[in-house]
Amino acid sequence: MINDFEYFAPKTVKEALTLLDKYRDDYKIIAGGQSLLIIMRQGLIKPEHLIDIKGLSELNYIKFDAKKGLRVGALTTHRTIEKSPIIKKSFGVLAEMENRLASIQTRNWGSIGGNLCHGDPAGDPAPVLISLNSTLTIASINGERNMLVEDFFLDYFETALEHGELLTEIQVPTISPNTGAAYTKFNVIENDMATVGVAVSITLAPKGGHCKDLRIALANGAPRSMRAKQAEELLRGKKITDHLLKEAGEIASAEADPISDIHASAEYRQELLKILVNRVGKEALSRAKKP
Amino acid sequence: MKKELRLTVNGQPYELYVKPNSLLVEVLRNDLGLTGTKRGCESSSCGICTVILNGMAVKSCSMLALQADGAEVVTVEGLANGGKLHPLQKAFLDYGAYQCGFCTAGMLTSAKAFLDETPKPTEEQMREAIDGNICRCTGYNSIIRAMRAVVNGEYEETR
Amino acid sequence: MSDKYAVIGKSHIRVDGHAKVTGSAKYTFDIVLPNMLYGKILRSPHPHAKILKIDTRQAEKMIGVKAIVTGKDTLGHKNGPWRRFPELCDEEILCREKVRYIGDAVAAVAAVDEDTAEAALDLIDVEYEPLPAVFDPLEAMKEGAPQLHEHAERNINVTRRIEWGDVNVAFDKCDTILEEQFHTSSQAHLCMETHGAVADFGYDGKLTVWTSTQSNYYIQVLLAAMLGMREGDVRVIKPPSGGGFGSKFELDSAQFCASLLSQKLCRPVKIILTREEEFTATKRKTPMYYYVKMGAKKDGTLLAKEVRVVTEGGAYTAMGSTALYLTGFYSCMPYKWSNYRYDGYRVYTNTAPTSALRGFGAPQAYFAGESMMDMLAAEMKMDPIEIRRKNAVTPNYEVPGQAYIQSCGLGECYDAIEKYMKERGKLPLNGGIGIGNYAFMSGGIFNWFNTPYAFSAVIVKINIDGKVDLFTGACDTGQGSDTTLAIICAEELGVHLEDIRVHADDTDLGPADLGSWGSRETLMNGNAVRMAAADAKRQLLEFAYAKMKPNVVYDLDIKDHKIYMIDRPERYVSYFDIVQDAIRGKEGQTIIGRGHYTPHRKGMVSPAWGFGVQAVEVEVDSETGKVKLIEIVTAHDCGQVINPVGVLGQVEGATMLAAGGAFCEDQPMDNGKILNPSIGDYKVLRSVDMPKTIGIEVDTYEPEGPFGAKEAGEGLTSPTAGAMANAVYNAVGVRIKDLPITPEKVLKALKEKEK
Repeated sequence: MINDFEYFAPKTVKEALTLLDKYRDDYKIIAGGQSLLIIMRQGLIKPEHLIDIKGLSELNYIKFDAKKGLRVGALTTHRTIEKSPIIKKSFGVLAEMENRLASIQTRNWGSIGGNLCHGDPAGDPAPVLISLNSTLTIASINGERNMLVEDFFLDYFETALEHGELLTEIQVPTISPNTGAAYTKFNVIENDMATVGVAVSITLAPKGGHCKDLRIALANGAPRSMRAKQAEELLRGKKITDHLLKEAGEIASAEADPISDIHASAEYRQELLKILVNRVGKEALSRAKKP
Repeated sequence: MKKELRLTVNGQPYELYVKPNSLLVEVLRNDLGLTGTKRGCESSSCGICTVILNGMAVKSCSMLALQADGAEVVTVEGLANGGKLHPLQKAFLDYGAYQCGFCTAGMLTSAKAFLDETPKPTEEQMREAIDGNICRCTGYNSIIRAMRAVVNGEYEETR
Repeated sequence: MSDKYAVIGKSHIRVDGHAKVTGSAKYTFDIVLPNMLYGKILRSPHPHAKILKIDTRQAEKMIGVKAIVTGKDTLGHKNGPWRRFPELCDEEILCREKVRYIGDAVAAVAAVDEDTAEAALDLIDVEYEPLPAVFDPLEAMKEGAPQLHEHAERNINVTRRIEWGDVNVAFDKCDTILEEQFHTSSQAHLCMETHGAVADFGYDGKLTVWTSTQSNYYIQVLLAAMLGMREGDVRVIKPPSGGGFGSKFELDSAQFCASLLSQKLCRPVKIILTREEEFTATKRKTPMYYYVKMGAKKDGTLLAKEVRVVTEGGAYTAMGSTALYLTGFYSCMPYKWSNYRYDGYRVYTNTAPTSALRGFGAPQAYFAGESMMDMLAAEMKMDPIEIRRKNAVTPNYEVPGQAYIQSCGLGECYDAIEKYMKERGKLPLNGGIGIGNYAFMSGGIFNWFNTPYAFSAVIVKINIDGKVDLFTGACDTGQGSDTTLAIICAEELGVHLEDIRVHADDTDLGPADLGSWGSRETLMNGNAVRMAAADAKRQLLEFAYAKMKPNVVYDLDIKDHKIYMIDRPERYVSYFDIVQDAIRGKEGQTIIGRGHYTPHRKGMVSPAWGFGVQAVEVEVDSETGKVKLIEIVTAHDCGQVINPVGVLGQVEGATMLAAGGAFCEDQPMDNGKILNPSIGDYKVLRSVDMPKTIGIEVDTYEPEGPFGAKEAGEGLTSPTAGAMANAVYNAVGVRIKDLPITPEKVLKALKEKEK
């Protein structure tokens, strides 16, 4: 049963930030509510003030230019991202990931910002964004700050967002040439939450084909979305072979710290990470090699 | 304190006063008496409560009613055109695409919203369209057959 | 599809179709009555505890709360249908002194709205004395284990033995013997409409209850017993119902508590269980430990089978006694065993009670049995279909002392599947096909209370304009019995489906029927419908004789609204004209036909049997263990198909439920607490996961059934788990004997195989 709260539907970001500052001790922000309403319905949280930002059209946009890269307003829905021609063309892995996220209904109403702020380590967008070296902008009445998406997650359902702050934009740098990015999650039921998920982005050197840079990010590999940095170390600067990818999988699996729950044991999750890092790495590599 | 909610449902404009913690499904069912849309879970997982809002399939249990302010909502009751059933409804009847019927409203709205957006889908896309809706009776395949029949134009002349 | 029938065998739009696709069907979930209150139930957080004190004073003071009931407000009766075994009637529903599982009801509140009722629950103070609890049936059977019920020593609730021949002697004669142990898991029914009831107790002392149920007759009788009322003063109405699958033919907490509260207030009270309550506080599938030993001669003839089963009964008997027996019966099917012994033990545990879930104990038996058949085939280097065919039951076979089989299309089913597999050809790497087969009852002959036999009764009423009212107690929970019965009625009476109005929802109006469980409606109620229609028809034909003045040697029949001479069909009169004459000629008396059916002297189990053979194709990812369902083909024998589109729906729906139980559905527990009581965490197949399904009907005629029809819909849940286990073995050489077949288990087995 949802508690009685005081409801606000600000029309501008400025208005929203003012409200967040005013009620900084007891408020919750609702955007699409696809995660929030579940916990509120169970009475697990009972905010005195609910700030509904769903109507802030200011934060609903997808912009791209070669210099600044991709900028996505925090309130852009998953479905909009999934179907955006710009994203499909130049950031295809994002559209692919959204296509497998939950259900069409959830994607129609839930926002990318809401998903990130929920801080679920099993979430799909975070590892993909991390693998693309994405950043985000957080606003408050006092100004703005930026950070890497990979630094945004602190612990289970805990992010770096402070009281009075609002996530406003996600930025994905233009993808360099000779880069391939892919994401796969494992689940028993398709489109379900990831038992584990792996995102890999590989940039190859133009001649010689060795790995100039790469990022490996994991969903549900730990209490927070994480990069498998040791596995990256193994591959960075080298010519990536099948053998190396297999080894990278083993290292990533070892540096991960997945939980055991009713869906899978930690050991099984580690097995899956081994396999997925290898497979997704292969896929990213093959995409990087495409002209 | 109740707040004003203005929305159009099945072509009919409404002006209501609702508590902010009301969900859209509650307003549709309790305030407007449109009980065709059902509820099946507390975890936003079953899709039974799906309605069409501004052309998009959404879960009406996972949205505050006030978030539908200014929106155009279509529920199962709004699919038929006067006395004429929507092609999907006719197809569901012919293909036995329902059994107990409790998930049917959500299936129809999901299918309609999807086909309005993607009139010539692949088999895989049709399955995706209703992947957010659980059915315990049919095994889904009859629903896909009904959708395919509509896509193939079997019900063209009735509209 | 047969052309010899006008209505039967052709696909029809269901009689309730228009209401369902337009959202106008009103389920229990939708009912709102004037002056109605909303109820919520307080449930035990402990798996086993004494109730020391319940203090409702604070909750009673809450504005909007109108009444609270606890066990003290009941008559102290214990619920259960077991007239011959009163000790099995062991569930108070609203507990008085003890709670026995997490979810056991201790109090119920009626308030002006749901939120108030829910808030009031938090204010009810219950003082418990937790007791030691036991969760595993093997543990519960040990000396010194915590005792749930006084009458059940070592928590043994029910034992059953089925035996013929001498297995010990027979095993000595076997050339190959296999001995294995299996474990089957829990499963939730997951009806899309949760349990619920609206109870309206009037100042006249009569109670009306609207409820989602598979048997309004059972609810009437059981509720009357629990409330100390006369049965006739309890009226149970079943609105369109959102699924049953075996969970809704027992008296449940929503029905009982709503009735109690309404009785206290003389106001309507509505209780709808939440999805979480549905998972934790309603009945579920019976998990069991299954020990089996099977022996055969070297030519493949099965000789002896010994089964010992220990089931997790949960806190109360529910329908578990019958399930225990049926597991034992189906463990011998569908093969001819000359020596067989089954020992079943149902054991009380401090977990949610286990009962009937589509298959009623059969799916568990077939998982183990069909896995064993493949293992035996492999051991003996025989083809899996060959060994089954060699030993399968045949038409007119008697299962010694248990059941008699008349029609049996198993042979044709094997033919169809063999053909399919040949056409399928070579499978991809890590692809596999597995076979499972089954036999299933067309309704149980047993009844549990007030008469020794099952029965169905029907009334057909013909009105002056020719429209037909069909009054039956059969309960359509979505499986389509309303339509099936209307088709049978229309066929017999010679009218169209559109002429029939089905009234199948009200104990005040309809004659009694035991309800839809054990796949009984088509055959049992169908026979009663046919008889009633024939009775009404005979009355019409009497008038037609008078009008047509045929020679007495000419027979008359009705088809397509024409009453015609069978030998000279060009001579006919209008059905509508005769109906008018018949009624007007007899002082306006409506024509009433009466029908009934009871499976008298048809053995111990069922008068007729559905059969089938299923092939499940999978693809296994050997690095992750993930099993993908590719295609499921089922050749089945349901006798005469009444409504083809309905039968296909049953094949596909049963497959989805069975496949779910085989590989992703489960209810893991921690000290009796179900850990996944939500649809997000309880994994079910969705449309993208559902494989291609093909249903092949083989043509047989069942003499016991109306127009040769028998069951289609419940037996179909039986073969899938075994077929899937066999398919996984066929694909990657590992055998999983412990349901569900999860990727983690498959991977573990693959790694062990490597070593």
